[in-house]
This record gives sequence, C-alpha cells and structure tokens, in this order.
Amino acid sequence: MEHVAVTREALERDIAQLIIDTLNLEHLTATDIPVDQPLFGDGLGLDSVDALELALALQKNYAVRIESDVKDARRHFATIASLAAFVGTQRAACAD
Amino acid sequence: MNEGDARVPHWARQRERGSFALMKLTAFGLRRLGRRPMTPVLYLIVLYFFVFGRRARRNVRQYQDYLAAWSGRRELRPRLRSVFGQFMAFGDSLLDRLEVWRGSLPLSEVQLHDPSGMCARLLKSAHGGRGEILIGTHLGNLDVCRALAELGEQVPLNVLVHTKHVAHFNRLQNAAGDHQLRLLQVSEMDAALMLELSQRLDQGEWLAIAGDRVPLHDGRRVAVDFLGHPAQFPQGPWLLAGLLRCPVNLMCCLKIDGRYQIHLEPFIDAPEWERSQREALIKSWVQRYANRLAQWCLLAPQQWFNFHAYWQSSDLSQSSGETDAHPRRAAP
Repeated sequence: MEHVAVTREALERDIAQLIIDTLNLEHLTATDIPVDQPLFGDGLGLDSVDALELALALQKNYAVRIESDVKDARRHFATIASLAAFVGTQRAACAD
Repeated sequence: MNEGDARVPHWARQRERGSFALMKLTAFGLRRLGRRPMTPVLYLIVLYFFVFGRRARRNVRQYQDYLAAWSGRRELRPRLRSVFGQFMAFGDSLLDRLEVWRGSLPLSEVQLHDPSGMCARLLKSAHGGRGEILIGTHLGNLDVCRALAELGEQVPLNVLVHTKHVAHFNRLQNAAGDHQLRLLQVSEMDAALMLELSQRLDQGEWLAIAGDRVPLHDGRRVAVDFLGHPAQFPQGPWLLAGLLRCPVNLMCCLKIDGRYQIHLEPFIDAPEWERSQREALIKSWVQRYANRLAQWCLLAPQQWFNFHAYWQSSDLSQSSGETDAHPRRAAP
C-alpha cells in the first residue's frame, strides 16, 4: 500500500511539473500547486486553451488517450490529484 | 443594417446547402457532357442564384463597396455588372473545382509563386521532415491548390473542414473522380483531435485550414480590421499553430487572365506564446493575415467567395466564446 502512495505522490509531482513546463508558469514550482486546488477558474486560473495544451502534453508524455467526452475530461482535469488518478488508471489499463 | 440581420443564418447553414445542390448538378453535367456544353447551363444557374439571392447580392455589394473605399480605387465600386461578375466568377470556380477533382487541370497550367521554396519543404516532409500548417482562404479557388499534390507522387495533405457536409463532399468528390484528398471534420478542438493532428505533423503530413470563416460551433473568434471595417475571423487555425508549435504558411489561388496563380508565403516561423499575451498575439497574427488578404483581394477583386454577411454589426461582435479563450493569470 505504501508503495502505491509513494508512486502516486511522485506522479502528482510529475504532473505538476508538466503543467508548469507546458504552460510556462516559471514563477511556480511543483510544490506550489496544492494537489486538490482547482486548475481552472478560481484556482490556478487555467482556461480552455491551456486545457488543450495540457491534454496534448499529457497524452504525449504518458501515452494515454483522452477521449473527446467533455464531461469526463472536465472531471479528470479538475485538479492535479484527479489528473494523477486518471493517468494512473489509464496506464494500469495499458499495462494489463 | 436592418432587422433582417438578426436572423441571418450562419454561412455554414446558409451557403453550403445551396452550393452543394449546385455542385451536384454541375458535377453530373460535367461528367456527362463535358465543360463546354455546361457553360450556358452554369450561366442559368448563376443567374438564378443572382436573381433570388437578395442577401448574397447585398453582401457582395458591401464587400465591393468596402474594397473600393479601402483601396481608393473608384472603378471597383459595386455596379450591377460587377456584382453579377462576382457570382459568375464563383460559378466558374465551381467548374474549375470539379476539373481539379477529376484531375484534368494539370499543374503545368498553374503558375506557382513560391519565393520561399515552400514546395520543396512540402516534398521533403514526405521523406522525414515535420509537417506545417497551410492557411487558405475563400478568396479564389482553394481546390486548385490540390494541384500541388501532383508535385510529388503523394504530398500528405490533410484538409480540415468545419461543416457537417464533409460526408456529402466526400461522396461528391468520389463521383467526380477524386479519391486522394483527406478531409478531416473539425467541429470542435478537443484533446483527441490535437493528439491526432500532432501525430500527423510528426509523420510529415501537412494541415490545410481556411482562415477566413468562423465555424458554427466553436465560438473562438477575434474581430480585426478588414478592408476598413471590423470583421470576425476564427481563432482556431492560430490556436492550432500555437498549440502544435508548427510553422504557418499562407496559401491563396487566384485566377488571373484565365490562368491560376498559386501564392505560397511563409507567415509564422515558430509560433509561441506567453499565456498572458496569447490573445493579443493571436489578434496580431489575424490582423496581419487580414491585411494580406486585403492585398490579395485587389489582385482578384471579384473572387471573394464569401457570400455571407462578412462584416457584422457591432452588437453581434460581442458573442460568446471570446472570453472563453481569454488567458487569466495563473495564481502565484
């Protein structure tokens, strides 16, 4: 169990870093973004174009597919934690 | 503007249906009869659209009016004859389009203006380079650019289209004998599409997209000055370029003295934006594009084939969507 927790934390940090690199948020570091802070709207303040940019980077870096279902995508992209969970399950599914 | 403007249907609904029926008819006639006997038929069809297309007539008049005022060339001011001329030019371009699809308009009949050597890059990318974006326009005849495909055995060109009429057009193209063109319907930009386009570029394929029509469902648009008046242009092509970090070129094909000229120009080498300046940067690209378009309009004043209301009255310009793409500063 502990192992899973560690990898998830690492994944969350990786994703935070990916967000920073992709969107050029140079004034931030990976630990500055709380994993449960909303990425869009009032939280980090990303917009729909950022979402596309981020989705492209995620798909390339983690070899996952983000389907066009808007509702699902919105749920997955809510926070860093939800993104990590999404990438985690997608990767687990691919590994099977 | 009068009260009718509030109900002006979007071009995607308004225009394509009419021209599709028209093209289906001409495609059929052309295949059966050849071009020459079809020409008088075409005159009749165009005359029909001219007589009953009050709205289109008014839009053409407005375009010619703006072009004349903007350029200071009085001879371009709209008259009955010049407005009809623009309708005829459209009919003529439809015939040419069908010939291109049948492959009977060879590249040797097309003059190429390619000072930057873009064609060479197009060919090279088929052998291991990264693709680029071509932004086309409904000024002149986009389909003639298909003649570019004759350059190599196969230039990997994907054409991104907005409308739901793709299936129709595919059928029509097949009927006309063209099986090569790859049309991708893009009703909305989403993650899956971005990935696909990105992969296609990495494989050396090019993307062609029109830069002068605002799509029906994607509200991202930007108003810039075009021929002296604010007009709405889509943000989509420029967002694609920025998101995919992909060089942008302009493409335009005008019929001048009966011969087609394809103009190919590099436009943005390496699109990249700061989040906070994204919107302003896109607007500056679009303004530059509109300026170039205006110059091209002067080369072929009657080949502006956007027959819908291009310049919206100002109260319509604040439609939804623009705010959507507005970058907010990330919290520190």
